[in-house]
Amino acid sequence: MRVYVLRRVLQIVPTVLMITLVVFVMMRSIPGDPVVALLGDAYTEEDAVKVRAAYGLDRPVLVQYVIWLGKLVQGDWGASILSGRPVLQDVLIRLPVTLELIVLSMGVALVIAIPAAIIGALRQNTWADYTATTVAMIGVSIPEFFIGVLLLLIFSIGLGGLLPSSGWVYLPGTCPTMVCGVSLWGNVQHVLLPAVALGVGRAAILTRLLRASMLEVIRTEYVTTARAKGLGERPVVFKHALKNALIPTITVMGLQVGFLIGGAIVVETLFAMPGLGTFGIDAIIARDYQQVQGFALLTAVAFVVINLVVDLLYTFLDPRIRYA
Amino acid sequence: MNSPRRWPCALIALSVLAWIVAVPVTADAQSPKRGGTLRVSYGNEIAHLDFHTAPGYEMMWVAMNVGCGLVNITPDGKFVGDAAESWHMSPDGLLYTFKLRTNVLFHDGTRVDAAAVKFSIDRLKDPATKSGMRAFYDAVHSVEVLDASTVQIRLKQPYAFMLHMLAAYRTGLVLYSPAATQKFSLDDRKQGKPGAVVGCGPFRLIEWVKGSHLLMERFDKYFVPGLPYLDRVMIRTIKDPVTEMAAFKAGEIDFIASFSPEHVDTLKAHNPKAQILTGKETTPMLAAMKVTVPKDGKPMSKERAPHPIFGDLRVRKAVGCYGIDRQEIVKIAFRGKATPWVGMNPPGTLDTVDVNHLCPYDPAKAKAMLAEAGYGPQKRLTFELMADTEKSVFNVIATVIKEQMARLGVTANIRLVDKVSWMNTTLQDGPWDMYVEDLLSLITLDSNGYLSNSTSTWSHPRHNDKRVDEHYARYAREMDPAKRRAIAREIQEFFVENMYWNNISGSPFYMVAQPWMKGYTYNAEFEVHYHRVWLDK
Repeated sequence: MRVYVLRRVLQIVPTVLMITLVVFVMMRSIPGDPVVALLGDAYTEEDAVKVRAAYGLDRPVLVQYVIWLGKLVQGDWGASILSGRPVLQDVLIRLPVTLELIVLSMGVALVIAIPAAIIGALRQNTWADYTATTVAMIGVSIPEFFIGVLLLLIFSIGLGGLLPSSGWVYLPGTCPTMVCGVSLWGNVQHVLLPAVALGVGRAAILTRLLRASMLEVIRTEYVTTARAKGLGERPVVFKHALKNALIPTITVMGLQVGFLIGGAIVVETLFAMPGLGTFGIDAIIARDYQQVQGFALLTAVAFVVINLVVDLLYTFLDPRIRYA
Repeated sequence: MNSPRRWPCALIALSVLAWIVAVPVTADAQSPKRGGTLRVSYGNEIAHLDFHTAPGYEMMWVAMNVGCGLVNITPDGKFVGDAAESWHMSPDGLLYTFKLRTNVLFHDGTRVDAAAVKFSIDRLKDPATKSGMRAFYDAVHSVEVLDASTVQIRLKQPYAFMLHMLAAYRTGLVLYSPAATQKFSLDDRKQGKPGAVVGCGPFRLIEWVKGSHLLMERFDKYFVPGLPYLDRVMIRTIKDPVTEMAAFKAGEIDFIASFSPEHVDTLKAHNPKAQILTGKETTPMLAAMKVTVPKDGKPMSKERAPHPIFGDLRVRKAVGCYGIDRQEIVKIAFRGKATPWVGMNPPGTLDTVDVNHLCPYDPAKAKAMLAEAGYGPQKRLTFELMADTEKSVFNVIATVIKEQMARLGVTANIRLVDKVSWMNTTLQDGPWDMYVEDLLSLITLDSNGYLSNSTSTWSHPRHNDKRVDEHYARYAREMDPAKRRAIAREIQEFFVENMYWNNISGSPFYMVAQPWMKGYTYNAEFEVHYHRVWLDK
């Protein structure tokens, strides 16, 4: 097991390096560079050449990458070309917002998916099953921004401002700046709509997957045996069937983190949240290379680490699985 | 026991009493209240906080409140003193002498004196600063400190728009504290580090967290007694107009500093009491056509050749002048809320002239001119029409133009790009034929010189007609307003005749305020000041 974990941890390094290299090269391949935006009204070709040289943007891409990597190893994530702000500082300010959004949206997804899938599987081909699968199909089909706009119109405009439409209130003790809104209730109010907007699509996917998995598991011999032994329906479903049915679902949950990060960009922009998603998209639009690298690095690390954790979770869910 | 007959008298007496009591209450409600936080929404992120170099209106609207200058301009074009108490111009127009108020302080406690004015202007003029304002200071020869409260600006030649420039070209002149500027680095200032951004305006910067908020707080030693009324101004960026509307409807924000015209009706319908602030159009919406390309293929080369399509004046006029139905564009893209305008100077800008009659929509004439230039069914004219994604209206206009071109037998292929790609393409002499954009708000025709003279980097069509520069120079140096107006007419007609600037319309600008926000004076993008704003709630 230890060897397996160590091997997987070591695999993270080349994976992350590859992702950051691809992003590095791609960013420099798309049209436009940040120097134009930096100079703005004062743009002249001569100044642009000087500024590009000052930031090392005139050097070969691979050389630039190695320099970036060298600084990263020393803990220097670089600074925004446009604002001069240290990337690491901005990333750390924004990380908690996105982390909370992703965790809660996954929570929303599970809260919807698990009961819906169980009901759908146990009452297959009944109205309850049809309802669950239809709602899931609708959820999969509607993009986050549309659900977000609907929620905004209903809860922020339609119901007289029942829930806030934008912004962020931090959990007590987590304010990363001099001035923040801080309150537990305020935080719940602000995160609710974005988490639902982001979570509903994931709930739909997980519902469909878990239902199919449950249908398979409840027809297996060991479930029949458990029932034959006289076990009640509840322990049969939750202890025997659900636990095994969850294995493929957890795999997909790990993969869904990538989609959640992508979805967070849309949802954070819509709800004007100061998270990593808006940080990433602003950086890409402005061609702020250093910020894009910071964003790519963090999301890549988050993605591979979460998938490692998911893989390790298997052993707890199914003791038959052991990593040699 | 009261007789019923006395009741009317009693009622009248009570009404009079109530009126007497109510009048002072009403008066109180209208007199400014101190305190509160004004919550402002911006549609775009602030680039950075070095006021002399940062691009974008969002930064400017911060600079105008954190900083102070020498003069400001009112909506009706009058100049009012800011740090300057008075000023006068020498009879030859070459010397401006400003007498400074003695009680103006920077936020670091140092005095705003003549040395600070000299320091700030010298900094703006220094090529190393890379300020977008530098071009506007071309006429300035030197700045001399006469005494602590008196500063003289000596010009190389008369400049009729000196005060306009100091008040409202981009940020206007924003004075920098020499002490703070020397103490902190440029990066500190750009990042908005505490203590690094020091102005002399009514609010001092407390914190800027990019992507989250910018907070300003009342500067208690502001030189106007009793101002500002607000304790704080909190600025947030909300990019999506629907979210902005929802936040406004829910009362989460008090003021939207720039609201997209296509959503104004919806916002009004949901918020009947909202104050919709707008005025005469001062921003040109144009469909620029590239006039020349580098002869040697090197971007920005001085050796120019005519653009393969729009290098021919007949094609420019056929497409831009007679082939575009501006009425239709305004009706579709702006729902009629803009003015079709051929002249380069929008209807709300000083010395504007209506030259629409020079370019009536005439598809038959356009086709004839195209045929004369060699285009027709045998040789179909095809060009690329670039629109950027910054505002959805650009794409709508491009689509209407494409349709109008099809009526002429011309194919316009739309290329939608993001703002940075558009800037890269246009500024670096990249390949484009026509683009749709509204470049900047113009307070004077003179301020458009740097977008349209033959040597400017920002003159994207890259015409190399020196007569344009001569026109601008004559206009800027002419001190007689009547003669200046005549030159302005010449310039605007000249641009239409040569189609160096293919204007479509004005581009309307909207601000939206909650009914409880009082004391704000609308002056388009030029002056956005919160020092007289107060909250009636």
